[in-house]
Amino acid sequence: MKLEVCSFTGYKVYPSRGRTFIRGDGKTFHFLDSKTESLFHQNKNPRKLAWTPIFRKIHRKGISEEVAKKRTRRNVKYSRAIVGLSLDAINARRNEKPEVRSAARAEAVAKLKAARKEEAAKKKAARAAAAPQGASQRVSKQQARGAPTKVKATTR
Amino acid sequence: MKSRLNVIDNSGAVVAECIKVLKNAKWAEVGDEIVVAVKKARPISEAMSSSMSAAKIRKGDVRRAVIVRTKKEIRRPDGRYVRFDDNACVLLNNQQQPLGSRILGLVSAELRFKNWVKVVSLAPRVV
Repeated sequence: MKLEVCSFTGYKVYPSRGRTFIRGDGKTFHFLDSKTESLFHQNKNPRKLAWTPIFRKIHRKGISEEVAKKRTRRNVKYSRAIVGLSLDAINARRNEKPEVRSAARAEAVAKLKAARKEEAAKKKAARAAAAPQGASQRVSKQQARGAPTKVKATTR
Repeated sequence: MKSRLNVIDNSGAVVAECIKVLKNAKWAEVGDEIVVAVKKARPISEAMSSSMSAAKIRKGDVRRAVIVRTKKEIRRPDGRYVRFDDNACVLLNNQQQPLGSRILGLVSAELRFKNWVKVVSLAPRVV
């Protein structure tokens, strides 16, 4: 079984459907039905008839979504300098080796800790200086207002 | 007025008119033998007469012919219907051999099935 293609529209022509016309010069034309055959003999151009697939293809009817999807552009990524950091500085940081980075990080952490320790020591010294003058026991807010001291629970 | 066919061999006839269908039917199809009267023939010059076939076809001659193309569609075994652009025939002698030595143009493939072997072999193109 051989499927022909309609010479006018491009539709598939199954056996025992349509007609075949052989012109004097030997060129063979297959037609889907008498409509296409008649139009052919009237010398109509299928490209100008709005219902033919050829026309629809030329005027891009019905396939616009597919075409739009496939044509989306890809975003190009490229590095730019920021205010405060030149492009070189950014690239240097990006290309830093992990050991270098962790060493730098450890250094920074150690620095921070040392600074904190210093601060804590300072604070303690300040508190120690202030402590002998003031009350050593802690006074709750309620006690300060005049409430009796709470008995510490031994059970439970 | 009867059907006129183009004669597509080099026998000298150009247009022939069918005057009898040689089968027990009303009309003939491709591959059927018919009797024709030659209505138009190419002028025969004395210089060419020797090189051409012995039978000189003149206007008014009554000969046999086989139909090789029809404008009426014919059904092929695969279900297709095929038709040509014109009606054409090839002149024959009484032994069913083609009178001309060459055939110009297409002939239908029906001839093969109806055993016109000589005509098919002479034809430049069988469709």
